[in-house]
Amino acid sequence: MSDIQLSVQGLCKTFHPGLFEADVEALKGLSFEVGRGEIFGFLGPNGAGKTTTIKAICEIIRPDAGTISVCGHPHTAPEAKRRLGFMSESPYVYRHLSGREYLRFCGELLGLPRTGMEERIAVVLDEVGMASRADRGLGTYSKGMQQRIGLAQALLGDPELLILDEPMSGLDPLGRRDVRDIILARAAAGATVFFSSHIIPDVEALCDRVAIVVDGTLRAIGAVNELLARDPVSYELTFTGADVGGLATPLEASHERSDATWVRVATPLRDALLAELGGRGALLLSLNPVRISLEDLLVEHSEEPTS
Amino acid sequence: MRAIRAIAANTFREAIRDRILYLFVGFALALVVSTKLFGMLTVGDEAKIVKDIGLASIQFFSMLIAVMMSMLLVSREVDSRTVFIILAKPVRRWQFLVGKYLGLVAIVAANLVFITLVLAVMVLAYTGQWDPMLFFAAAMTLLEMLVLAAFAILFAVLTRPILGSLMTLAVFVVGHTSAELWLLTRQLPGTLTRGLVAVVYYLIPNLERFNFRTEVVHGLPIPPAAVGWAVVYAIAFAAVALVLAALRFRSKDLR
Amino acid sequence: MRRGLATAAVVVALLGVAVGAELRLGRVQRADPLGRELLYLPSPEVLKVVSVGNPGLAADIFYMWSIQYYSLFEPHERFLYLEPVYNLITDLDPLYFDAYRIGALIMQIQTGGDQRQLQETVQRLFDKGLANLPTSWELAEAAAWDMYMRFRDRRQALRYAEVAAARAGAPARIKRMVGVWRDSEKVWTADDSIAYWRQAVEEAVDAYDRKMSLSKLYDAVAARDRETLDPVLGYLREDLGRCPASWDEVVRRGALVSVPLDYVGNPYGIDPERCELVPLKKISDQ
Repeated sequence: MSDIQLSVQGLCKTFHPGLFEADVEALKGLSFEVGRGEIFGFLGPNGAGKTTTIKAICEIIRPDAGTISVCGHPHTAPEAKRRLGFMSESPYVYRHLSGREYLRFCGELLGLPRTGMEERIAVVLDEVGMASRADRGLGTYSKGMQQRIGLAQALLGDPELLILDEPMSGLDPLGRRDVRDIILARAAAGATVFFSSHIIPDVEALCDRVAIVVDGTLRAIGAVNELLARDPVSYELTFTGADVGGLATPLEASHERSDATWVRVATPLRDALLAELGGRGALLLSLNPVRISLEDLLVEHSEEPTS
Repeated sequence: MRAIRAIAANTFREAIRDRILYLFVGFALALVVSTKLFGMLTVGDEAKIVKDIGLASIQFFSMLIAVMMSMLLVSREVDSRTVFIILAKPVRRWQFLVGKYLGLVAIVAANLVFITLVLAVMVLAYTGQWDPMLFFAAAMTLLEMLVLAAFAILFAVLTRPILGSLMTLAVFVVGHTSAELWLLTRQLPGTLTRGLVAVVYYLIPNLERFNFRTEVVHGLPIPPAAVGWAVVYAIAFAAVALVLAALRFRSKDLR
Repeated sequence: MRRGLATAAVVVALLGVAVGAELRLGRVQRADPLGRELLYLPSPEVLKVVSVGNPGLAADIFYMWSIQYYSLFEPHERFLYLEPVYNLITDLDPLYFDAYRIGALIMQIQTGGDQRQLQETVQRLFDKGLANLPTSWELAEAAAWDMYMRFRDRRQALRYAEVAAARAGAPARIKRMVGVWRDSEKVWTADDSIAYWRQAVEEAVDAYDRKMSLSKLYDAVAARDRETLDPVLGYLREDLGRCPASWDEVVRRGALVSVPLDYVGNPYGIDPERCELVPLKKISDQ
């Protein structure tokens, strides 16, 4: 069963900052769909329109054109919002409340039944690892703790669709691992997760599908493997017994290590280099293709001008 | 309506836990209690001065609290990202505003009741009599604050925090002087000026309609029609401001 | 620690300089001897606007300032500006009793200058107060006493006493004041006086009031009797070449039918030097 949990069609948004500033066209007809149970990553450089898209989905801003549907309902309907759990980038929260009080407040806003709300809060606090620190004031929390509470309120209503804006930003590696685990657990339980991120390794590790957005348009969308399925652009070699400076074959990069020499060469020149090394009597230690990384792909798309 | 109540309660809680509120309450208390000192400077009826200072303090500090708390609790939130999480929930935007408004009103009312109690006790100490009309004057001031708080909410969604506070302050000042200005300009020949002043007069709430301080201090009779219509006036104006605020907020993009 | 102390010392030193400068400035004589502050008294309209709905409080503040300012007893021209000050206060709060009463008292401190003009100024303030406080007999009584004690003007005292007596709630003593001053200014006939005091006795509110009114009634009757009987003594003196020794003698000589009795039924006496009727006032409680 792969019903569509999030559908964005033809989303356009232009911002009008003021009389003396030029209009900013943030989204130029964005369209994509996310199916149930997917973990979907939203990648793009700063200013690409990721946060704008997320705000549009959550009705924090209104698009100039386009439709958005959440869990089969129009995104403005209360039914949609009840099924949606949103975590904003560096969430600022009420400093005067404790973590638990804040979650209670969110529970009231969600319309959760009063009976069982405390248990639900306890479960969610446990899930994000804040159970022991929930009764301190939010003003005393570190960034990581705030992020966890932000995630907790998103999870509070047991949402079918989780929308997370940069959920790992500002977290230490342990924190990031915890968030990754939560996302995986939720997806395994049947929720759909849509998140935007800068941190490529996390996206690569987590996401079933990825969309690359640059300058308000969708540049690429698909499973990570599909996107990266290309012939290697270059090869990395390590060897001993030959001097790098004396090699005729042009190299992309080289580096003298204590135990060996490392070089990178473009694919067409690989065989020529191997032959040269063999001719010099060098000992080849390793030979690896360099696959394009997601990061490279992103950079590639970023540098492309908008068509 | 559960959402409205939750937001109102949260706003109230936020104000109670904010130390700035206690600064204002402390100043108001100090002023009311210090009327003992003023009593030493005067000859004659000391109770009048206590009542005048007390009622003026109630009005002034209620206004300050309404303006300040609105800036801290409403403008700042509308301008910041805290509100995103609320709006992403199944809460309508107008419910958010109404909840904020009720929380703001609750804070002003709590402060007002407290200071009025202190004032009544001071007057009791001076005159040996309990003057319940002081509470009436304070209640009318609360009506005034109902209107002012609604305008504070309106300006919070229209513009930035500091500018919004200044505009609320302006409504307070103009609201108290517009009646005088209108009377003065009625003598003027130019119809354009008169028309302009009339527009200002009718569009900005005439806050003097809630001023019963003179009657209370001097024990003068109060026509019930003045009170009844004042209540209607307050509710109508507050509703206008809140509806306009809700309309603006509905289509506002939040950055 | 040392930096903190040094900073504190610098701050204290600067404050000392500022305070010293202020003290010096206070002693410097500026050109206007009348006191600059009073030349720039704001108008009541401006103050009403500034006070955003608290004109009574603005009145209080100016009143307290006036008390403090005029309490320093240095009679010079500053008293000239009293009337505008108290007009300002009473424009802001027309029902402010103390401003009228105490304001009038403060005006009366001035002993030099044109006392006639001063009395008119005081009366203007009182009249303004009486117009704005139509039920206040207290203010009228205060005005009456000030006219009598300070300006020795029984006519004006009588006028204010009559205003006071006409207002509801005026105590009995005010009615007596009116009667006493009408008597002393002789604005009515002896018969009017007697009728007035008779009514006062009838309407007496307590024993003291009754006693006082009786005493006045006695005096009124005696005054009328003096009017009618002193001429008799005068005729006899011309006849006899000396004043009659007693009323019996007057009767014996046929000038009167019987010895005249005072209001309580005791006989009158005769003052031998002035040859006038003399009441031997012994009123017992009736």
